[in-house]
Amino acid sequence: MYRNLYPFSAIVGQEELKQALLLNAVNPAIGGVLVRGEKGTAKSTAARALAELLPRINIVEGCPFSCDPDHPDEACDNCRRAVSPLPRDRRQARVVTLPLNATEDRVSGGVDFTLAIQEGRRALQPGLLAAANRGILYVDEVNLLDDHIVDIILDAAASGENIIEREGISFSHPARFILVGTMNPEEGELRPQLLDRFGLCVETAGAADAETRVALMERHQAFDADPSAFIQNWKKANQRVALQIQTGRERLPLVRMPRHLRSFITELCAESNVAGHRADLIMEQTARALAALNAAPEVTTAHISEIAPMVLMHRRREAQPPPPRPEEKEQEEEQQEPEQEEEDQQPSEAPEPPESEGEAEQAAGESPEEDQEPEPADESEKPAEQAPPRPEDENGEQLFQVGDTFRVKPITAAKDRVFRRGSGRRSRTRVSQKQGRYVKSCLTPRHGDIALDATLRAAAPYQKQRGPANGLCVNLSKDDVRGKIREKRIGNFLLFAVDASGSMGARGRMAASKGAIMSLLLDAYQKRDKVGMISFRRGEATVNLPPSTSVDLASKLLEEMPVGGRTPLSAGLAKSFEQVRNILLKDPSARPIVILITDGKSNVAMGDQKPVDEALRLAGAMGGDERIRYIVVDTEAPGLVTFELAGRLAAALGAQYFKIDDLKAQTLIDIVKGQNP
Amino acid sequence: MKTTPVYPFTAIVGQEKMKLALILNIINPGLSGILIRGEKGTAKSTAVRALAAILPEIEVFEDDYFQLDPDEETDVYLEIARSLGRPAENEGEIPRTMKRRVRVVELPVGATEDRVVGTLDLEHALKKGEKRVEPGLLAAAHRGILYVDEVNLLDDHVVDVLLDSAAMGVNTIEREGVSFSHPARFTLVGTMNPEEGELRPQLLDRFGLCVNIEGIHSADERVAVMERRGAFDEDPEKFVRQWQAESRDLAERIQKASRLYPQVTVEKPMLYEIAQYCLDVGVDGHRGDIIILKAAKTLAAYEGRSEVASGDIRTAAELALPHRVRRQPLMDIADNVAAVREKAVQTG
Repeated sequence: MYRNLYPFSAIVGQEELKQALLLNAVNPAIGGVLVRGEKGTAKSTAARALAELLPRINIVEGCPFSCDPDHPDEACDNCRRAVSPLPRDRRQARVVTLPLNATEDRVSGGVDFTLAIQEGRRALQPGLLAAANRGILYVDEVNLLDDHIVDIILDAAASGENIIEREGISFSHPARFILVGTMNPEEGELRPQLLDRFGLCVETAGAADAETRVALMERHQAFDADPSAFIQNWKKANQRVALQIQTGRERLPLVRMPRHLRSFITELCAESNVAGHRADLIMEQTARALAALNAAPEVTTAHISEIAPMVLMHRRREAQPPPPRPEEKEQEEEQQEPEQEEEDQQPSEAPEPPESEGEAEQAAGESPEEDQEPEPADESEKPAEQAPPRPEDENGEQLFQVGDTFRVKPITAAKDRVFRRGSGRRSRTRVSQKQGRYVKSCLTPRHGDIALDATLRAAAPYQKQRGPANGLCVNLSKDDVRGKIREKRIGNFLLFAVDASGSMGARGRMAASKGAIMSLLLDAYQKRDKVGMISFRRGEATVNLPPSTSVDLASKLLEEMPVGGRTPLSAGLAKSFEQVRNILLKDPSARPIVILITDGKSNVAMGDQKPVDEALRLAGAMGGDERIRYIVVDTEAPGLVTFELAGRLAAALGAQYFKIDDLKAQTLIDIVKGQNP
Repeated sequence: MKTTPVYPFTAIVGQEKMKLALILNIINPGLSGILIRGEKGTAKSTAVRALAAILPEIEVFEDDYFQLDPDEETDVYLEIARSLGRPAENEGEIPRTMKRRVRVVELPVGATEDRVVGTLDLEHALKKGEKRVEPGLLAAAHRGILYVDEVNLLDDHVVDVLLDSAAMGVNTIEREGVSFSHPARFTLVGTMNPEEGELRPQLLDRFGLCVNIEGIHSADERVAVMERRGAFDEDPEKFVRQWQAESRDLAERIQKASRLYPQVTVEKPMLYEIAQYCLDVGVDGHRGDIIILKAAKTLAAYEGRSEVASGDIRTAAELALPHRVRRQPLMDIADNVAAVREKAVQTG
């Protein structure tokens, strides 16, 4: 179906990508490659062009699962039962495309509808996993693939076998395929398990020099003008590569792996702090493939060093390459120093050295006076801290720049069974309208949303018995009717409650907080959330942005948000609750998320209670509503002496608690570890 | 339906950039579409709907839903016919062909995924007891124009599917027991009002060209808009007749340009100019370079020249780069690419 594929060897640059694909073609045990990169960098072109170069394999003739006649133990149920010798055939290994619109029955296989109706027997219609056996399963935009499809693929990839137990069919067949996926990280990241399934990972980027770009344009122009002539011109080059792969495959079993190099591999993996042992195994396989490709008799250190980055890129856990920000480290160091000073000062100013644990105990039991402790400390901090930053206006207000932004950890509401309507990308939900992706079928259709295919499959085996009805070929009975279960992601409502009091202005804290909020806003933008923003300072809380979909506006308001004055935390809490309650009144099935950004040092009360007590009491009451999720981002600077007030607030709210630094998603590595609190 | 007169393309006042971009896309479908961003009431939709009247004719097979190209896709046609259970009357005989105008297929915002990509043919399944594919909008849009009004409001999963086929030029259906694929190379034309939210970067990149349009500021032209609209509303048929000559001229010019296009050449220094432009402005990947090159060639052909000039590249860049300029997240899409370039060069 793909006409005039751009030849593999004519791709300009992207050497790493090309090599990763070749290595996989030589040694399927590597387990695939994930291509990450910006738009327009030949990701898809290269993956599809590979199809032309794949070597020929032996198969059992007529077997839809491409079983290997030489390894009957790995064959499908049919071939295992068949009498040997099996008829043999030879053909090129296939590249099977898994489109994003795929439904479960086509991926793993299901009842063959036509056969069932016409002959009344349940036969399997093999799915894409069957077609991909011993070939390549190619997913474009793999990060957009539906989760339940990902589950099926993961299951098959892990066991090398696809087991079908559905619609009255029980069958298993081998499903060993090379998984090739492309993705643009702008559209969101991959699930950790799936990420780990890809043996190699390469990043692509546009060329930075004019020479290469011109060469690329020239080739593209030539290809456009006359595709067949262009392909003909590159045929020789393509054949050379194909031959290289073929001989590489033949040579692969002969490549020796010197023992001492194994320890080199382990060392490399240990250095990068990878999880599990897959990296070690894949690195060995990849190094062997490279040696075979280069016609070397044995693996050398050079081979290993060459391929190590591809193996480790998505598995490394500590040092994360993108985006390197050297300044950040310096800032941290700078912060560390003043911390020491603060420590020295504070004991002299506060009567009791407030240790975090002691604090917590006090809060639990003792008199309110002691609870107030942090307040004087807070006040005393201010003059010292406010001295250095930007010029203030006469009201003691300051404007802080937005600090560095970063990618935030995934924040989602748990998937539940409530049916709701909406649009967005954050949380998955079952939807009640007839929209969203058809995920699977169920016994009772809702809202007249009938899954025709499943209904027919259910009815098919009984057609022989029932006979035709009213001119239709298929006789349906009431029991056959199946409904569609659809699923889609909806955006959440995120309310940002920002502490804009003077204490937040201290030592770049507001800049960092603004950076954190901005990062959350960017995340909200990608997930199509609704956002609202409340700030509290100088004795009152104001709604800066009523619930809106305009994240742009929120970010502008954030930039202009002034800081100064005391901290009316309880007023801020009350205002937030008011906003969220309004949302819930309108849409009772909504699950709003409130993100409270504060250091927790409340010093203005609404009533006559102590400010901190009042805030905690309010928080306890607000935490009672299970429909609302709270997240507290503690902006208190790290140090040996902290007040942990925000932590207590979080506990009262039943909220997730983060320090600003905890919020950073730290690239893929954390996601791989699956540390998603 | 067919008798309803459409406001003629040539009668649209102003909005030259948008009109040019649309015309370029008709001349060269390889430009892969256009995104029109603008406020309400700026003739966005009118212009796209009016295209139908000036589109060229293409050769297709008779009664072929997929509009395959008889010159290049005869084998695909036969294959599809077989899989749909209607083999050509006599094997080996060449199927009949006919000429038809390029179609504008509209993708409504509420479209469901199964109608877009295609799904199981209900009637056939019930009557004949066989599964057969019922092709969707993507099939109808092959070699034509796929028009999405308010593209930024499109459901996310429909966008995913659209991206998938736009990238590959092939629509693969693997759903509801049907497995089928057919060519789907279409010119994606989208209109949007940025106030309603932005597009996803990946989809944004799929549009070859992008124009920002706004209401006309000169009083004279505004009056002209009102006068013409009034005349059209009063007697649409008469109005269309009045503009017929101009429409025909434009259609002819477009056809001439498409014939000339393959002969347009580019000197090497021009390629360097394009590459440098993209590097100066800072774009992701290489699609920007390629689109500028194609747009510049098309522009030359439209003006009857067989060689690309420096001016063509500047105009092409204005159309091809606004949505590709690398920007901070949440930043607005550039209005003036030349200004962006100047600034980038100055700041080094």
